[in-house]
Amino acid sequence: MELSLVPLLLEAAVRAGTPILLVALGELLAERAGILNLGVEGMMLVGALTGFIVSQQSGEPWIGVLAAAMAGVMLSCVHAFLSISLHANQVGSGLALTIFGTGLSGLLGKSFVGVPAKGFAPIAVPWLADVPLLGRMFFQHDPLVYVAYLLVPGLWVLLYRTRPGLKVRAVGEQPRSADALGISVVVVRYSCVLAGGSAAGLGGAYLSLAYTQMWVDNMTAGRGWIALAMVIFGGWNPVRTALGAYLFGGVQALQLRLQAIGVTVPTYLLMMTPYAFTILALIIASASRARGHVGTPTALGRAYIRGE
Amino acid sequence: MAKWLAVMVITLLTSVLGAAGGTPEALKVGFIYVGPVGDYGWSYAHDQGRKYLETTLPDVQTTYVESVPEGADAERVLTQLARSGHKVIVATSYGYMDTMLKVAERFPDVVFLHCSGHKRRANMGTYFGRMYQASYLTGLVAGTMTQKKRIGYVAPIPIPEVIRITNAFVLGVRAVNPEVNVHVVWTNAWYDPATESEAANSLLDIGADVIATQSDSPAPVQTAERRGAYGVGFNADASKFAPEKHLTSAIWNWGPYYAAAVKQVRAGTWKSTDEWWPIGTGIVGLSPFGPVVVDTLKNLVEQRKQDLIAGRFDVFWGPIKDQSGKLRIAAGEKPADEMLLGMNWFVESVVGTVPK
Amino acid sequence: MNWPVALEKRSDPSPRLRYVLPAVAIGIGLLLGAMVLSFMGAHPGEAYQEMARGAFGSVYGLSETLVKATPLLLAGLGVGVAFRAGFWNIGAEGQLYMGAMAGTWMALTYPGLPAPLLQPLMIVTGCMAGAFWGLIPAVLRTRWCVNEIITTLMGNYIAILWVDFLVYGPWKDPRAFGFPFAPPLLQTARLPSMPGNRVHLGLLLGLLAATGLTMLLKHTRLGYEIRIIGLSPGAARYAGMNLTRTTLLVMALSGGLAALAGVCEVAGVQGQLKHGLSPGYGYTAIIVAWLARLDPWATIVVSVLLGGLLVGSDMLQIAMNLPVAVAYMLQGLILFSVLAVEFLVGYRLVWKDAR
Repeated sequence: MELSLVPLLLEAAVRAGTPILLVALGELLAERAGILNLGVEGMMLVGALTGFIVSQQSGEPWIGVLAAAMAGVMLSCVHAFLSISLHANQVGSGLALTIFGTGLSGLLGKSFVGVPAKGFAPIAVPWLADVPLLGRMFFQHDPLVYVAYLLVPGLWVLLYRTRPGLKVRAVGEQPRSADALGISVVVVRYSCVLAGGSAAGLGGAYLSLAYTQMWVDNMTAGRGWIALAMVIFGGWNPVRTALGAYLFGGVQALQLRLQAIGVTVPTYLLMMTPYAFTILALIIASASRARGHVGTPTALGRAYIRGE
Repeated sequence: MAKWLAVMVITLLTSVLGAAGGTPEALKVGFIYVGPVGDYGWSYAHDQGRKYLETTLPDVQTTYVESVPEGADAERVLTQLARSGHKVIVATSYGYMDTMLKVAERFPDVVFLHCSGHKRRANMGTYFGRMYQASYLTGLVAGTMTQKKRIGYVAPIPIPEVIRITNAFVLGVRAVNPEVNVHVVWTNAWYDPATESEAANSLLDIGADVIATQSDSPAPVQTAERRGAYGVGFNADASKFAPEKHLTSAIWNWGPYYAAAVKQVRAGTWKSTDEWWPIGTGIVGLSPFGPVVVDTLKNLVEQRKQDLIAGRFDVFWGPIKDQSGKLRIAAGEKPADEMLLGMNWFVESVVGTVPK
Repeated sequence: MNWPVALEKRSDPSPRLRYVLPAVAIGIGLLLGAMVLSFMGAHPGEAYQEMARGAFGSVYGLSETLVKATPLLLAGLGVGVAFRAGFWNIGAEGQLYMGAMAGTWMALTYPGLPAPLLQPLMIVTGCMAGAFWGLIPAVLRTRWCVNEIITTLMGNYIAILWVDFLVYGPWKDPRAFGFPFAPPLLQTARLPSMPGNRVHLGLLLGLLAATGLTMLLKHTRLGYEIRIIGLSPGAARYAGMNLTRTTLLVMALSGGLAALAGVCEVAGVQGQLKHGLSPGYGYTAIIVAWLARLDPWATIVVSVLLGGLLVGSDMLQIAMNLPVAVAYMLQGLILFSVLAVEFLVGYRLVWKDAR
């Protein structure tokens, strides 16, 4: 019985890892440009609520998803303005955003608790879903999972194979040099932060429209913070971040499934592993300097002030 | 002239003072919740009780403070409620116990009600409902409806109350079909809809065709219906999330208790007691049955419920064995409440462990 | 994009501005908050009055504000000294938990000790645990250049989960009916507090720490090194300073202070180690340290103000019947405003000349 559970486990890993991945990809982009956004948890919550409300009112979940992304953009505007234009402390601004977003979603969501809405149902990708074993694992999911699938290579290509991606990386590593070359640090950073906000909104909408179809106060349960960790775990590389997110989802799915078949699991120790692995991964990456750059954007977390 | 003025002033004064003296002051009742009212679960159910109190007793004014962590903050909030004129204060989580005891000592004129605790004072009473009785009834339904003889149970945090309610459910299942296995998965959170949904998935993956939950959100029931399984909810009616396959939910109905307690306080007849109200009082019960529950099953449940109310039978009357086969409650034994309150073992037919 | 205004760095930030602007910022925050309150149907003036009264308007309220301010002060000092040295310690929350854990361990393992011996031992053990927890990211940065924002953040998760593991498992109080609490500390392990309210020794320790830190920064060689390294690591290296040694010392100090906040919370206020011991004090401390511009004396003031904001927020629920979400939004708005206005201290807007 155990062996046949493995494909189901991987399927669950994808399902559980997707909200984290969506948020992490957005945060990755922002951090690559040098802006740390600790407000992802708040943006995710607002995105979850917005997506839920709009989907419930309009009856169409995709409109809800769009609204969720826009809500994420709007919230991230605050952080962007504070950290980029006003050179405010990014950590403080992000934390304030999380507090505010938690409050905003809690307040506006009061009348939507206990109300069902139409969400997403799993869609099988034609032809791919029929592939034995792999089909069930990867291609019979909610549509937002497929969006995440596309975003991973998309972001990779953007960052490493396009001019805008080059600009992003330059701004995150050496904003002064980028500025001297005529790249607008401000425009690049704003774009990345707002894009990150939309991804956070998407991640939230996945929770309230796909994973479950409901709204409950504070329903993200810390997934935004986990996404932050996954960006680092993945070394600011979209593919490795995806691996990290799915791995995290997998660990969680595994411990639930082990319980289901009656195996005792030391939960808290198990839950520590992703974070411990992250630190380990960082040490290994740092220690092997020969392989090149660790990946931490050099200018991450520091305000860029022209002329200093 | 002066005489008329004096008369007017005196008339005015007496009418004003008379009016002030005549109006009964609204009784202020304060509630503190450990979670947000928007959890559609434990705190939500208490808040429904608070609203019932407000509508039933119009001259009662209620206040609520939500998401109060059980720790340093709780003492402050309880004290602030006591200092701002609340005459009855309700704390709805076990973890508030010692804190409330401390505050109750400082405010002997205020009545304190602590849910699910076991420490009391002259001005502090404890109350709870025998949810395990309602849970047993839901087990009867689940045990009848399962065809694959495998039921999944999503449990939040391993405290004795949760274990007890889980056991009651399983006993109900065993009463109709001792061959059924109930697989228990712990989410280690009071509410986290996504994880609860995943827990339900993990149970459905191993072939469960009924999913019952004790966590705060209806996510497992919703997930169950999406995958064609039946669902049994908890804390609040989950039927809106699974209109076709929802069987029933074990729900709280705190309103009548709050109304009764406040009336007693107002009448001056309230005494500190340890109340563990049984199902007959209506404090726990079942939500309306779902469309698939047939009349014969409804009748069975109703019959057992009447048995419980009349005292002809109770859930944990022996013989009851634990998972390892050891006899924990002997035949004919009717365990005392202490034993139930400290329950930390699973009954037979449970697959899953109590984390130590 | 060509804005008609530009930011120009002030060559000489006016000290007056440093105090006036934050006040202005709080005012703006309160104004924004007033909009939210009106939207909820509450009278802003009444709400703010209730908040002020709850936090500062009575001896009880003031004492509670101080109780809330104590961990913010201690952790804020810890975070502040690390930031001063250019080490972005986001891990105060984890260091706090480690301190609480170690202090509890001491109290549980040696319950028979008399209070004058036990409590200092608890404090020392707690601080050592926090120093250790802070040293790990410090070593990772000095040896392998690993970004400390990340490692300290990860350290938080691990420390919190470690405490969860302990209170759900080996340290679970057998008399707590299975709830995740460690056994309550004996009276000998409880820090002395003022008669009639909960203000405890931790506050005094915090004030002493602030004094000590000020003297350290102004009058010692280490303090000098800390300040230089924070301002310009290049200059420090050029001057022959040992960056590694200083960084390690600073993080040991920083972690130790945050851990002290944890010991005080457990031994001074809550009385037992439990899940959720800290409602994010370590993170709030970052805000405190930053608002106080890393100055130890200012940290005292800011922690009291912020403590007052948190305590006053209760009254929004109690006296104004508003949901807790409104309190969060208010806190967020005030923080945003203060953050936004901060930059005006160092910069000013100038009109660009027409070309």
